[in-house]
Amino acid sequence: MKISLNWLKDYVPLDASVDELSRAITFLGFEVEQVLRTGAPPLSSVVVGEVLVRDKHPNADKLSVCQVDVGPAGGVKTIVCGAQNYQVGDRVPVALVGAVLPGDFVIKQSKIRGQASDGMMCSAKELGVAEDASGLLILTDRPALGTPINAVLPPGDVVFDIEITPNRPDCLSHLGIARELAAWFRLPLTYPQERFRGELDGPGQPELLRGVSVLSAEDCPLYTAHVIQGVKIGPSPAWMQQRLTAVGLRPINNVVDVGNYVMLETGQPLHAFDARKLGGNQIVVRRATDGEKLVTLDGKERTLSSRMLVIADAHQPVVIAGIMGGENSGVSPDTTDLVLECAIFKRQSIRWTSRRLGLTSDSCHRYERGVDPHGALEAAYRAIDLIIETAGGQAVGPAYRVGSDVPWQREIVVTHDYICEKLGFDIPAPEMRAAFEALELNVTREEPTPARGPAWTVGIPSWRDDLDRPIDLVEEVLRLHGTDKIPPAQVNSPGLLGDDDPVVRFNRRVTDYLVGHDFHECVNYTLRSAKEISTWVSQTAAVELALANPFVDDQSHLRPTLIMGLLETLRLNQSRGVPASRLCETGRVFIERNGQNYECAAVGFVIAEPLGARTWLPCAPADFYTAKQHASALAAAAGVDLARQPLVPIEGPYYGWQEGHSAAAGEMAQGWAVRFGLLNLAMVKALGVEGKVYAGIVSILPEKLASAESRRRYADFSLLPAALRDLALVVDAGVRAEDVRRTLAQTARAAVGTAFTLEAVEVFDVYQGTGLPEGRKSLAFSLVFRSPERTLVDDEVNAVLQKIQDEVTRSTSWQIRK
Amino acid sequence: MQATLTALVAKAQTDLAALPNRPEFEAAKARLVGPNGELTALMKQMGTVPKEQRPAMGKLINETKARIQDLLDAALRRIEAGELQAQLGPAVDPTLPAPGGGPGTYHPLTLVREEMCRILRKVGFTVADGPEVETEYYCFDALNTPADHPARDTQDTFYFPDTAHFGNVSRKTPGEKYLLRTHTSSVQIRTMLKGAPPIRIVSPGRTYRRDTTDATHSANFHQLECLYVDKNVTVRDLKALLDYIFASLLGPDTKTRFRPHYFGYTEPSFEVDLSARHLPKVKKEWIEIGGCGMVDPQVFAGVGYDPEIWSGYAFGMGLERLAMLLYGIDDIRYFYQNDLRFLQQFA
Repeated sequence: MKISLNWLKDYVPLDASVDELSRAITFLGFEVEQVLRTGAPPLSSVVVGEVLVRDKHPNADKLSVCQVDVGPAGGVKTIVCGAQNYQVGDRVPVALVGAVLPGDFVIKQSKIRGQASDGMMCSAKELGVAEDASGLLILTDRPALGTPINAVLPPGDVVFDIEITPNRPDCLSHLGIARELAAWFRLPLTYPQERFRGELDGPGQPELLRGVSVLSAEDCPLYTAHVIQGVKIGPSPAWMQQRLTAVGLRPINNVVDVGNYVMLETGQPLHAFDARKLGGNQIVVRRATDGEKLVTLDGKERTLSSRMLVIADAHQPVVIAGIMGGENSGVSPDTTDLVLECAIFKRQSIRWTSRRLGLTSDSCHRYERGVDPHGALEAAYRAIDLIIETAGGQAVGPAYRVGSDVPWQREIVVTHDYICEKLGFDIPAPEMRAAFEALELNVTREEPTPARGPAWTVGIPSWRDDLDRPIDLVEEVLRLHGTDKIPPAQVNSPGLLGDDDPVVRFNRRVTDYLVGHDFHECVNYTLRSAKEISTWVSQTAAVELALANPFVDDQSHLRPTLIMGLLETLRLNQSRGVPASRLCETGRVFIERNGQNYECAAVGFVIAEPLGARTWLPCAPADFYTAKQHASALAAAAGVDLARQPLVPIEGPYYGWQEGHSAAAGEMAQGWAVRFGLLNLAMVKALGVEGKVYAGIVSILPEKLASAESRRRYADFSLLPAALRDLALVVDAGVRAEDVRRTLAQTARAAVGTAFTLEAVEVFDVYQGTGLPEGRKSLAFSLVFRSPERTLVDDEVNAVLQKIQDEVTRSTSWQIRK
Repeated sequence: MQATLTALVAKAQTDLAALPNRPEFEAAKARLVGPNGELTALMKQMGTVPKEQRPAMGKLINETKARIQDLLDAALRRIEAGELQAQLGPAVDPTLPAPGGGPGTYHPLTLVREEMCRILRKVGFTVADGPEVETEYYCFDALNTPADHPARDTQDTFYFPDTAHFGNVSRKTPGEKYLLRTHTSSVQIRTMLKGAPPIRIVSPGRTYRRDTTDATHSANFHQLECLYVDKNVTVRDLKALLDYIFASLLGPDTKTRFRPHYFGYTEPSFEVDLSARHLPKVKKEWIEIGGCGMVDPQVFAGVGYDPEIWSGYAFGMGLERLAMLLYGIDDIRYFYQNDLRFLQQFA
């Protein structure tokens, strides 16, 4: 809200500097967003002049060549002028050569259409004092020639653009801010004194307003209407226009301006009707009917609903209550009789309607935050005073007052000690009490307590609905004491009460791992496009993960995987010519299963061929097993040992993985899922990413991570030497190594029996080609035997190996490769 | 005999020095000191030496043997050294770059978040986590947000359709609307409901507002909030924490100040300003960095904590904003583009 300093000074004798005032407003709790200076800026070389001669310009129809007397110092100047609104003998502002007008407009000696010109006669706009650019600013007071213009024009103003927090609707007004500043500087506050106090001038004109009925008292606890007869619509006085302009409002006419002026003064919105335009000379405050229409002042037709409150005449709505008037009932230049509305509307009703219609206004802004329920009548009187002052007329009546002031009686009992306890430092009791009084929170009782300080009973004025509990008064005391005076202290830090959340520790651990393996950590948006999700995940996910109200089309769905964001990062870097290869991310993903979505913690990585990064020393390119290595490490951080999990090849086109070159373990039914391998070449290419991309992702329910941590048991191990044997098996090319290994390990374990132990069975060679039949491959395994008690001798190990070979030959189709 | 020995040493000296590798060395060694070696043969002739000459001759033979052994050792050392040398390629050029993309880098938001968490851990705050998909209760109701507050508008908050269900996001009441959390304060509510006071947590995390993305706004961004609940917690304690955090983060010359403000879930409430002129691109004396306040008694009552016994404070700030301030970054979108030239600047 914009607050004018000149205006504030009507109520409180402020003499602090602008900086001090800014600081005060800030520490009272209102952020000063901007300090603007308005009105006449300091103007040098602009003086009062008088037009002595006005001749038509010889070469231009619309220009005149004038002789202008600028006083004893300047003499008579020849000035070419395009304005039309002046006559010989008028006194006007003259910018002499060398003057600098607002906008850094330097006045120079010039030639206009061949005619020399020694300066410029100015409009109000050119001087920066008003918006009026229609002609010269005629100085009707005829100040002395040569007088510097600043001595003639009203002084400039300082305007504070401040943010009013939603809890302080009382400060959406100059009086409200004046009250705060009076409290801060401990200065007296003078309220405007209304001459009109409700006594009507004359017998009344009942036919101008035959009735006011409020049919929805719940939405409108108080409705007042006064009739003013015989006004003359015209411009409002200069002082009022200046103030309105200063705070960013456009002057309209005297009556509308008064309404705005009083709203900006008191915070109470008002509305003026042309009495003759009210059908049936009736005002009915009621809910709209569904589908009822009203063209509002902004020229738009609004369709209303039965939850919306309107002010209607006998036939139709004329105002959307508290929000905006209709085109059909407003004040127009020929209006002579007014009905002035000043009402209290229920906040929630106004807010609902405003949101629903997408329509707001200064009035709406105040009503939806809450208007002082006891200020309405004062504001009406104030407006009537100002209308009579600026537009003439008489408050003839009838006057209506429907509903009553909402009863207001609020007291809070608070003790000095309570406030000190909450603050953590002492403020003397007299200072606290003085703070209350300064804010017009009247202390009605002060009583001693068994503790150090007194207890106060504090009366809360009707405009301070935000103050309801003792804690609310702590803030008032602290505000006036100054929040910049909170004394320093040591942090109170007893020991830790817990440990970091398991998800946090998981993210940290996997990020450390990946960064340690040369990955660059990325952060991508959570919201992705529908197309991407239906292409890369499933049609179902594209339905289930959709937002109800996305803001932009390509951010309409929750991400089910981190891979897509990482691919986008690859593409962005590639398109910028930046070689990127290893990228990773941690964060939430959302996985759909059986119509339910699950929010999971996830870590993902991609490894792309580093395009464009030529290297003087080639290194081995990443492959499926690089992805497997990292995926296994990440799964381990989630408490999943991939070596013990069945790994299945990913099949089907929908998952974004390359069939035959990718694998999966786990499902959301188990609470976790791991996917890794090569991303689908065609899909990656379609995204605009070049080259092969290997990737991996681990997703796990947060609750699963929390339970994943169990303490491992130590298993004893032998310090004696091991006996190593190799065994190569020829199997069908399609058989998976792990299936063979597992069977071999079982067979070997059975062959060893209890004599000693089989420590490990690992595949160390895979061979296919010359020497082997078509469609077969050789898998070579190393077997490690060891005893906890003794060094094994060759004979016993060889005997076991023979048993293994015999069993393999007997029970499988595999051949022992000699 | 003596002459023979001298000749043997002289020959060994020449021959051994010329041996190129280990097999030839072994062969040469056998020729000298092997069972059929020349020196062995000479030693076998000791018996033919007259008795009186034997001590002198024995001494001579031993000296020769020692001398030959030295020559053998030296030759072996030379060959071994040559073998090791052969394992090396030519000398490296240490100025050539190591291939590969390393080293890896942490995202600047991670760096700032972790630094804040470390600072807070030192004074007893541990990291709490909660869902990003939330419900109206945890995101608004429990935080004292009026039912018709503008923050709840579909204009400002992302909602899910009524048909959406989240299997692992609990709702307070059945049928409650799911939404994307607009702040991490919902974690405070879940933490308070789950445990008993005292509580000291920091909850960093991703939050969402329905906002146009530009240099300073982003549809999702990150916040970091602290919650402290204990007995007799004061405004002064809150100020002490903020002073501590920013002095730790930005150096002892950093000042903080409170300005009164309004938040629904704290009373009194403050905005926190920072004075840190030494930071890059900071032109104003005071810059706003976050909001804080004393937990409103209403919020405690809502989670079943007796506001007569328990008091506390909360503080929250935007992580992007902090990172932008710390590093002098002027466009929030850079955090989400992940241009490597950006990412590699913060490691």
